[in-house]
Amino acid sequence: MAERLLEVTDLSTHFFTHAGVVKAVNGVSFTLDRQETLGIVGESGSGKTVAALSVMRLIPDPPGKVVEGTMMLRGRDLRALSDDEMRQVRGNDIAMIFQDPMTSLNPVFKIGDQIAEAIMLHQDKGKDEAWRLAAELLERVGIPDAKNRVKQYPFEFSGGMRQRAMIAMAISCNPDILIADEPTTALDVTIQAQIIEVVQEMQEQFHSGVILITHDLGVVAELADKVMVMYGGRTVEYGSIDQVFYDPHHPYTWGLLGSLPRLDVVEKTRLTPIKGQPPDLILLPAGCPFSGRCAYERAECRDNWPAHELISEGHGVNCWIPRAEREETRAALPHFRSAVA
Amino acid sequence: MSLLEVRNLKKHFPIKSGVLKRTTGHVYAVDDISFHVDQGETLGVVGESGCGKSTAGRSILRLIAPTAGEVTFDGIDVMRASRAEMQRLRRDMQIIFQDPYASLNPRMRIRHIVGEPLRIHGIGTEAEQRKRVFELLEIVGLSAEHAERYPHEFSGGQRQRIGVARALALNPKLIICDEPVSALDVSIRAQVINLLEDLQDEFDLTYMFIAHDLSVVKHISDRVAVMYLGKIVEIAGSDVMYDYPQHPYTEALLSAVPIPDPHTERARRRIILEGDVPSPANPPKGCVFHPRCPRAQEICTTAMPQLVTAGSHVGGRHEVACYFPARFDGGSRVVHSQPFMDAMPASAASAADGAPASAPAASE
Repeated sequence: MAERLLEVTDLSTHFFTHAGVVKAVNGVSFTLDRQETLGIVGESGSGKTVAALSVMRLIPDPPGKVVEGTMMLRGRDLRALSDDEMRQVRGNDIAMIFQDPMTSLNPVFKIGDQIAEAIMLHQDKGKDEAWRLAAELLERVGIPDAKNRVKQYPFEFSGGMRQRAMIAMAISCNPDILIADEPTTALDVTIQAQIIEVVQEMQEQFHSGVILITHDLGVVAELADKVMVMYGGRTVEYGSIDQVFYDPHHPYTWGLLGSLPRLDVVEKTRLTPIKGQPPDLILLPAGCPFSGRCAYERAECRDNWPAHELISEGHGVNCWIPRAEREETRAALPHFRSAVA
Repeated sequence: MSLLEVRNLKKHFPIKSGVLKRTTGHVYAVDDISFHVDQGETLGVVGESGCGKSTAGRSILRLIAPTAGEVTFDGIDVMRASRAEMQRLRRDMQIIFQDPYASLNPRMRIRHIVGEPLRIHGIGTEAEQRKRVFELLEIVGLSAEHAERYPHEFSGGQRQRIGVARALALNPKLIICDEPVSALDVSIRAQVINLLEDLQDEFDLTYMFIAHDLSVVKHISDRVAVMYLGKIVEIAGSDVMYDYPQHPYTEALLSAVPIPDPHTERARRRIILEGDVPSPANPPKGCVFHPRCPRAQEICTTAMPQLVTAGSHVGGRHEVACYFPARFDGGSRVVHSQPFMDAMPASAASAADGAPASAPAASE
């Protein structure tokens, strides 16, 4: 069995603002094994990025606070670490790449400086050695003429190359876990394909676990082994990608799948969107955050969060609709039939 | 007859430098594109950032002045229209913008934003205008009670509905949708796509739908034009384009789009293009795609191929600008090793007369 890298249990991260408490992440649990890719899917405000930042302990405090839960990194309790110890963990054990590679690179330092900084901070290497390694890393992530490119500034790189440079920086200390927060959202599709390939290659070479945060179910289908669907700070469903795509149990997952125009489907089908607007995170219902938009809402949904229900090994859902009724409802959905066929 | 006819449209932005602001070069944002849009149809325009798709849309409306070319809308020459004629024309040609945050004035009430086109064109009395605004809000799925609010009180999807209501105010014939759903979340995006489809049926609208997302474009469009570096490289019916792409760039673009279906995704072969899109200020000589093209031969560096029908495909008119297009003879895909000489522009054909008769075999 693969080594368990990360185990997050009942994580809750809240932001205490003047307008009220924002429960950005509310009782979320997940695990990550070596060489595994976990996709966290959700729309804006679903809490997917905050969940990842909580693991990195990068939540600005105040106003944010991890109020509950445990986060175990290969048996070490991340919440119990001192700030210095945590600094060692970041970069060395867990590294993160962000959506916008321009704002995450410092425009006034050379690319080489920025990669070498991480190497010198975490490894016992001199400046020349660190720069040499930086050039090597750039070459590894597929930047041509890396020896000269390493001396350039971020503005001299294209969007795709900047994201490659970010990946080079992230893998510079060979981390166990790579968190990629919407790594391809700002990129064009042909460049996105290049970056996805680089992430896959790096994972194979370094045997890292990858947490992929995205709103794009296509990218998840391509990269992830398992997926967690978030809505309004809660995990509504999780499972292997086959379980979630072909046997989805939560109405929100149905809605997401029904909202997607498919490139590979010939007949013109009408999309089946989710009604209503995204929820106000301060005024979330006490129960299921999806109540109010859910087409199958019941009396108990608004005030009580449903118990976790295990559908099969590794596949769980939180929903009040009884399983038999759920399967019946799902079978009648137009887009679902085509997904099973 | 087509509602919109575009011939040899060009938009070159000058690059100025130095103290004297002399023009030292040009960005060839849109470089000689021709297409038509029929009444009631949706033409999708796809391409990556910087390919000129938005510039094309804005040039057609003369929101920016094109460098050259002809645009005929409903039989009227748009490029030569006087100011007064242009104002009349704009009633029939509207635009919806990408960013629903930047395209609504934050200091105006929704009532004023949606009613502004009516006031500018002096349509109806104040009471009639008010009634029309309420009606428009209903049409796009909002309600009259929203009329007194300001843009910041709405979510992204609702703001885009307001943008749609404003575009509909004058009963236009053509709406240019410039990335109308790109900034929206998946579930909201589907709502707006359905709304646009419903409005098209209800008001017999014609759309030019500009987007970078191929799945969305294929879903909503009847025909699709693929742009690369200021040129249209392929244009065909949207299903034909997906099943029988002829241009290597279209093939790569289609293969790069991840499909939200794990089984399909595992079975696919991805074509990964090397490198980045070149700068439109310094486009490559010959075919603009040749530096990244897996099929490029020597002929590709001589002149940009013209958009012509390469034949042997299924249904509809299918045009491609490539010397080595994929053909679908009897259902199987073939790339001929001989260059497709019909694509050679007339001006370059005479110069290339001395080219060897047997070009090297195109390898696939």
